[in-house]
Amino acid sequence: MKDNLSTKEENTWCPGCPNHMILAAVKQTLSHLIERKQFKQEEVAITTDIGCHAKIFDYLNLSGIYCLHGRAIPTAIGMKLGNPNLKVLTFAGDGAVYAEGISHFIHAFKYNADMTLILHDNQSFSLTTGQPTPTSQQGYKSKASPLGTFDKPMNPIKLALAANATFIARTNARDIPHMIETFTKAINHKGFSFVEVIQDCLIFNLDANNKDKLMYKIKDNIDKKLAEKLADQFDYNSKNGKIPLGIIYQSNERCLAEKWPQLKKLLNKKSGWNNK
Amino acid sequence: MRLNIIIGGKAGQGINKVSQIVSNVLSKFGYFTFNYRDYQSLIRGGHNFNTLSISDKPIESHEANIDILVALDERTLKTHKQSLKKNGITISGDQFKGEGRSLNIALAGVLTKILGIPLEKLNQEIKSQFKESTEAIKSAKKGFDSQTTTSNLKKLPNKISILSGSQAIATGARNSNLDLYIAYPMTPATNAMHELAKNQVEDKLMVFQAENEIAAANMALGASFAGAKTMTGTSGGGFDLMGEALSLQGISEIPLTVYLASRPGPGTGVPTYTAQSDLDIALRAGHGEFPRIVIAPGNPTETIEKTSEALYLAEKFRTLSIILGDKHLAESEFSSTEQPAKTPKFKITRPTPGDSLVKNSSYETDKSGNTTESYTLTEDNNNKRIEKYKQSKEFIEKNFEMIKIHGNKKSQNLIIGWGSTSGAIKDAIKNLDAKFLQVLYCKPLSSQIKKEIQKANKIILVECNVTGQLGRVIREKTGIKIENRLLKYNGRPFHSDELNKLIKDIL
Repeated sequence: MKDNLSTKEENTWCPGCPNHMILAAVKQTLSHLIERKQFKQEEVAITTDIGCHAKIFDYLNLSGIYCLHGRAIPTAIGMKLGNPNLKVLTFAGDGAVYAEGISHFIHAFKYNADMTLILHDNQSFSLTTGQPTPTSQQGYKSKASPLGTFDKPMNPIKLALAANATFIARTNARDIPHMIETFTKAINHKGFSFVEVIQDCLIFNLDANNKDKLMYKIKDNIDKKLAEKLADQFDYNSKNGKIPLGIIYQSNERCLAEKWPQLKKLLNKKSGWNNK
Repeated sequence: MRLNIIIGGKAGQGINKVSQIVSNVLSKFGYFTFNYRDYQSLIRGGHNFNTLSISDKPIESHEANIDILVALDERTLKTHKQSLKKNGITISGDQFKGEGRSLNIALAGVLTKILGIPLEKLNQEIKSQFKESTEAIKSAKKGFDSQTTTSNLKKLPNKISILSGSQAIATGARNSNLDLYIAYPMTPATNAMHELAKNQVEDKLMVFQAENEIAAANMALGASFAGAKTMTGTSGGGFDLMGEALSLQGISEIPLTVYLASRPGPGTGVPTYTAQSDLDIALRAGHGEFPRIVIAPGNPTETIEKTSEALYLAEKFRTLSIILGDKHLAESEFSSTEQPAKTPKFKITRPTPGDSLVKNSSYETDKSGNTTESYTLTEDNNNKRIEKYKQSKEFIEKNFEMIKIHGNKKSQNLIIGWGSTSGAIKDAIKNLDAKFLQVLYCKPLSSQIKKEIQKANKIILVECNVTGQLGRVIREKTGIKIENRLLKYNGRPFHSDELNKLIKDIL
């Protein structure tokens, strides 16, 4: 198969960074879907945040906006308002979304735009040399937090459940087949799909790395009570719990374009506003 | 002929209804009206009032000295008694308490009679507004019969329409076939949002309320990128939050139009009042250096025209267009016989995702749209942005009205102003030897301004802000300091009679 998803840009991720594997999984997922004629390559638009993860913008031959820090989600939702027929994927990090852009994360579940958020979580602001993010573990010492991080980390899966997410999944950056399976399900979900990718950073916050032995795969889940239990199993803080991988919760709700008559019309006509 | 009526009371007593009905009756009778709305940031109680100014000739302002005071409460009487002229009339709402919900209709009846307009004109207006009008018509008659006529207005042949600045923003946007208005509520920008939202499905557009202004601006960029004609709107505080997204516009060159409706700051300031204190941020908000267009219309007709120009220019030059207004323009009701100029129509023809590969970025980029840190490209891209600004300036100079000259065009006395203050200036200089240079484009600034200043003998700057922001911009561009400045910054716009005196004192 001829790979048309790559660019000629020099890859500047650290050698061995799990982002390389995430990129490979994204490319394979999209090639399969494009090959199966689910959508065309030019119908895909991505937004990326600012951070190590976001360099994926330069490595993917796809339309998109390399956004402001924290704003990759609203920009993507804007794309869906501007043309609901686009297949929109957002790549963002734990610093960007859970710190700078947390309000957008919560509201995204409410709007339920038919798009996918791939959240690279390495529990560290790595591109700015390792400051703590909202999911960094307690006690994490960095140049910005030499006394150690005092706060307990946020649990974004629980937050997403509370915000009425219609799709929450978790996958592991070291497991390409599982990422492909999860990304495919997320893209095929009608509504806002949130995929948390657990990844190591080889340079900063090394204590948070190597959680694979805690991970186990679950069956696709649609039960909210069970989802809450699954969400509680990993607290992002200790290494005592278990880390469930797979679809933690999925439900069927009207998506953004189905709620708005104006957007519904564009969906039916398979066009943007330009030919309204 | 000029009459001014203050109608005041508590919020929720329906003072807007009185002025609205009377304005409609008057405009259909061929008279020009201007309705200034003075209200507090509360829903019930407090003290709100409207000044309804009436003339047989076009007006765009209200006066401080009033002919009729309609008081729905004691506080209105106390507050405004000293503004009443010698033979002024006072009407108390108390005498119509029995009319209940139709109290404001009875007061409209009172005013109709005083002005000498036949009762049937009022009845027609009531019937057009209410499905069930029997009770209202009775109240109107009661009010009408309680008075004697003092000014016998004759019917005039003028075909007048009434419009607020907010309605004009919506009209301009619709004329340009706007697709999306994405915003977060903030007075006094919100009424434009309400206007566009009202019939959005029929109008084939969509109004989306985002979780905050940061989201609104970034969504607007996303939507514009995807191929929609998009606009956002806010007031000063929200505009501050949008600053970073404006800068993203500068580097990504995704077309964006922003409506900035000012109110007095800093901070939350005096939220339901007016000021022209945000010209500085309109011109400078956003880090880095990038081109932009800032247009400040002065009345609804200009607002319709300039909103369309802003949208057109944003798309043509892939730039940031800012329409700068304020509470006084947004919420005052203007009457006019003028028709706006023909809309500069356009379609989005740039490549958009769906059929093309398009990459836009917050980083400096190479030709492919990918990130670059090259020193040559960084410099080249900066040069391209400057070049684009020059091109947009040349285009605007050729195609759009950047300034207007009003009054006695041969006069050596030059008044300079902009935006909503223009109305009061135009009315203030009607009997003076003065000409008024109205600046419509604050960026780019017309080269005509320097020539006009050089021709003049006496120059007076009139603005509703503390530091004379337009004056500073003119000084920056021309090196000329305007010494005479009439600046008002108490949250209230100039009255034309007040301004007339102030200008006279200088001349």
